[in-house]
Amino acid sequence: MTSPPTYDVLVVGAGLAGMRAALSAHQQGASVAILTKVHPVRSHSNAAQGGINAALTDRGDKWEDHAFETVKGSDYLADQNAVEVLAQEAGQDIISLEHMGVIFNRNEEGRLGTRRFGGQKRARTFFVSDFTGQAMLHVLYEQIMQAKLPVYEEWFVTSLVKDENGHCAGLVAFEIRNGTFSLFRAKTIIMASGGLGRVYEPSTNALICTGDGMALAYRAGAPLMDMEMVQYHPTTLKGKGLLITEAARGEGAYLLNKHGERFMEQYAPTMLELASRDVVARAEQTEINEGRGINHCVLLDCRHLGRTFLQERLGQIYAEAKTFANIDLAEEPLPIRPGMHYQMGGIKTDTEGRCWDTEGNWAGLPGLFAAGETACVSLHGGNRLGANSLLDTIVFGRRAGQCAAEYGRTIPSPSIPEHRINEDQHLITSLLAREGPGERAAAIRLAMGTTMNRSVSVFREQEGLETAQQRIQELKARWPAITIQDKGQVFNTGIIAALELSFMLDCAEAIIAGALTRTESRGAHFRTDYLDRDDEDWLKHILLYHQTENEPRIDFLPIHITQWQPQIRVY
Amino acid sequence: MKYAFFPGCVSKGACPELYQSVMQVYPQLGIDLEEMTTASCTGAGVLQEKDEKLGDVLNARTFALAEQQGLPIMTICSTCQGVMSQANHRLTTRPKYLQEINEILQEEGLHYRGGTTIKHFLWILLEDVGEDALRKEITKPLTGLRAAPFYGCYIQRPTEALDFEKYPGRGKSLERIIEILGAEVVDFPGKTRCCGFPILTINKINSLSMVATHTQDAKSHGADIMVTPCPLCHLNLDGMQAQAASQHNTSINLPILHLPQLLGLAMGMDPKTLGLKRNLISPESALAKMNISL
Amino acid sequence: MQTTLRIRRYNPENSQPATYFESYELEVDPSDSVLDGLIKIRETLDDSLTLRCSCRGAICGSCGMRINGHAALACKTKVVSVAPEGEPIEVEPMNNMPVIKDLVTDMAPFWEKIRQIRPWLKPSDPPPVAEYTAPPETMSHLAGVMSCIMCGACVSDCPVLEVDKKFVGPAALAKAYRFVADPRDTSALDRLESLNQPDGMWDCTRCMECIQVCPKGVGPMDRILALRSKGMAEKMPATCGSRHAEVFTDIIKHKGTLDEPMLAIRTFGLKHVGRLLDMVPMVIQSILKGKVPLSGPLHRPISSIQHIQRLFKRVRTKS
Repeated sequence: MTSPPTYDVLVVGAGLAGMRAALSAHQQGASVAILTKVHPVRSHSNAAQGGINAALTDRGDKWEDHAFETVKGSDYLADQNAVEVLAQEAGQDIISLEHMGVIFNRNEEGRLGTRRFGGQKRARTFFVSDFTGQAMLHVLYEQIMQAKLPVYEEWFVTSLVKDENGHCAGLVAFEIRNGTFSLFRAKTIIMASGGLGRVYEPSTNALICTGDGMALAYRAGAPLMDMEMVQYHPTTLKGKGLLITEAARGEGAYLLNKHGERFMEQYAPTMLELASRDVVARAEQTEINEGRGINHCVLLDCRHLGRTFLQERLGQIYAEAKTFANIDLAEEPLPIRPGMHYQMGGIKTDTEGRCWDTEGNWAGLPGLFAAGETACVSLHGGNRLGANSLLDTIVFGRRAGQCAAEYGRTIPSPSIPEHRINEDQHLITSLLAREGPGERAAAIRLAMGTTMNRSVSVFREQEGLETAQQRIQELKARWPAITIQDKGQVFNTGIIAALELSFMLDCAEAIIAGALTRTESRGAHFRTDYLDRDDEDWLKHILLYHQTENEPRIDFLPIHITQWQPQIRVY
Repeated sequence: MKYAFFPGCVSKGACPELYQSVMQVYPQLGIDLEEMTTASCTGAGVLQEKDEKLGDVLNARTFALAEQQGLPIMTICSTCQGVMSQANHRLTTRPKYLQEINEILQEEGLHYRGGTTIKHFLWILLEDVGEDALRKEITKPLTGLRAAPFYGCYIQRPTEALDFEKYPGRGKSLERIIEILGAEVVDFPGKTRCCGFPILTINKINSLSMVATHTQDAKSHGADIMVTPCPLCHLNLDGMQAQAASQHNTSINLPILHLPQLLGLAMGMDPKTLGLKRNLISPESALAKMNISL
Repeated sequence: MQTTLRIRRYNPENSQPATYFESYELEVDPSDSVLDGLIKIRETLDDSLTLRCSCRGAICGSCGMRINGHAALACKTKVVSVAPEGEPIEVEPMNNMPVIKDLVTDMAPFWEKIRQIRPWLKPSDPPPVAEYTAPPETMSHLAGVMSCIMCGACVSDCPVLEVDKKFVGPAALAKAYRFVADPRDTSALDRLESLNQPDGMWDCTRCMECIQVCPKGVGPMDRILALRSKGMAEKMPATCGSRHAEVFTDIIKHKGTLDEPMLAIRTFGLKHVGRLLDMVPMVIQSILKGKVPLSGPLHRPISSIQHIQRLFKRVRTKS
């Protein structure tokens, strides 16, 4: 095909962050395109259920409260200047979403309604029944359709391309439908490719959440930050690990152990079931480990909420419990357990979404931006509050789009030679040329996933982490022996699986490197060999720089504190 | 077994042979029918487009009348069955709505408590008469006849309103009857699809395309005849078949029988008394195959 | 438990006959879905089996396909519910769409139809400083139709689309309803007018396939009927469809039962007298065969017609 046009802003990923960024850049007058490996409405943003936080001043709420609860929730690892931006701008962004058409729940006066969510004393979570993410995602896609923005649908990115000055200038991608490669040139690239849930098995995440963007940026020289901060969501279904929204607890559901006790009274006497997710997940895991669980689960009890209420406010999970767990929430408690859910870490960005520091305090990749779960500003530090991720995608997606458009105006058009696609093309050809029987990508992925879920989960310690590290190295060494039965060019999902696995292995390695380095317990990173939080030595982020054939190079970045000095964290 | 008989409008209008054949067969099946002469049309889904609540009021009235008599309702039309089932489903699952409807009915001295059952003759044969009793009446099994079932949308969907969970046999009921009557079931892709009748006045080309597709499909799978429990389907599949064939530059000539007509033949009845001379696509040669002369 | 998946394959790069069925036997868990089975085949037996899938939890809409002849989400379809005795399960790509490969269809025509109905809110301008206010029941009513995940199941099984690719289709119509029913949208009348055109809301044949197959309970046909209702209430220009519904209702009001000849005559009227004359040969043939109303050519009202008329009045006054 003829070379695609050069764009001012090229967005990778069409979830909430990606589409919000694209709209924002477009509104600034930049030429924008979106490149995505699945149709925009298939993005994993659609699985977010519970809601989106905002402190609205005309309700008597204070952004400082939202910000503080986010900082506390992060176990003081979040950068407070970024959290302040999130909390200050949230209100306006919620209103923008409503103006675009999101069918937010309303109160009796016809104003936006709220529900309670974890880690927050006040109800400030705006929602659409229990499918808020989907409701927002579809509306953003409507806006994309209205603006007629070009969307390269079902294209897979294989690498980022830098020009001779080390500036991010484009990317190499192939069209899944026919296997043809193209070199995309862009003044700026916004990486909004989501999380890496499939590094773990099980996970609440969709099969497409394979850490592509994190690995791509990492390999191109951008640092990954706080990778050890992997969130286990308290309420996931046994088996495939499907998510049951925190909103259930927000609407009043209880967590019970096998004796029918509301055990959260022991672990979080004030906030109980609505303590921060890491606290609840650890509580549940402790109950299970100490023999007070049932089949490695505890129970989510919604019975007292009543069938009518459940069907109206929590209709999606009511149906989900019936379909996937054979439970009628109005009649029986639901067995759940902590499951891997979200990556607080990611590609390091500043508050404008830039993956490099304009002051030069840390090395990054000029021209590259990131937003959403892929990025780490850091807003969520060691633990993310529920309903802050949807907010993150919108506020920082918008900001990244804005900044990318402005930045693009200050730089010349990128210049990279066409032959830069050769290496990636060659990789695919050689992958396909290998004759079997060799390794299967799925088998390697499963081994990686179970290793991570065993040794890098709710409770971690040195030996387990080292074993996991070794295992990942072994699996990495097996990757070159993968053979693919499908030798075709059209929609070859075998190739995609192999490439995604390669991204995931890089991410797994980074997670373990971070976990081994941080010798304290903070947020979701809990080490049974370093039980306490160490504010003296560890009020800092861990940056990881990719080194081929070697362990990542480690650097540190102090946390940005504005108003809130770290305190003892109890719920 | 006694039923409040709801014949619907078309079985006494454009498809009189349906009413005629039902009258012939039912006495021998141990069924007692009391015709609901004061009941209104169900609305056929068309009136519901204009005003769904109005349709529910009219049908609730019919249900209340049957409830007064203490009888279940028997229908002989897929559309009547489906429209009534959907209305009844709404009335019996939304207590507040039922209350509203009853407030309107009360001026006519009627009140629907929600207890009426509505069953199509097709289901009654299997569920109430029963296979054994039915077999006893089959004196002339239709051996050698290849029959394609065509249900009609309203008796297949939505399964929730039609009680398919309680009666799982309903999904394949017409095929079961064909087997019991001694004929061979011709399976073809369109058996549960739409005949196109509802859009006949709106988009005749599409409507006739559906007729042509399904009748041709059945024929190419070896059908001698098609049988349907819905007179509206019959109007399109039989009444419009010639026009459908010419729209597609072909000839079809697949006779379409009403369910009671097929049943009556297997019960050894004279085809003329079953109204088989009234079917526009003549079933003469198909009947000749079984040595029945029309 | 053992299960057999009989899958319709197609690879445009093969020189083979266009499509063919391939069977795979495998062990699955009783609680497994058809998607679990397909993934198992892909991961352990044949990685050339191509399908779209992502969330595994009936929210992304990727895995729409036909299972035993009816469109469904593979992740939501349990093996035991479609094959309780271990019978082979037939899996094919969705219908009414071009097939790219195996179970992957080209959804471009689907999205074209969605775009046709202008799927974005047109609120009043300029917007208020805060949110547009809206009564709570209006937003919770929209939750039903907003649940649509654009999986394509309804489009796959629509019989009108099977014979006429120009029909705008159930997904687009349901989406159009979402905007017409949103109190914040200012273009409801414009939208209804566009939907009142050929290939629009009147071309649905009311077969309920879309209601039956929708995995999210959106009920597309119910939305289409609601659009028709609204169109008639807003006195949109008459179409054969709207006249049909108006005349039918009027006949029931006056006779309590359907007078088919009157229905045809009044639906077509003078405007479409040609269509009426089209029916003459069939009418003549019917008369010759004795296929005439039992009570004679003049339909008399049912005996309880006053009751019916009073009920009509009560419903109309109540609303």
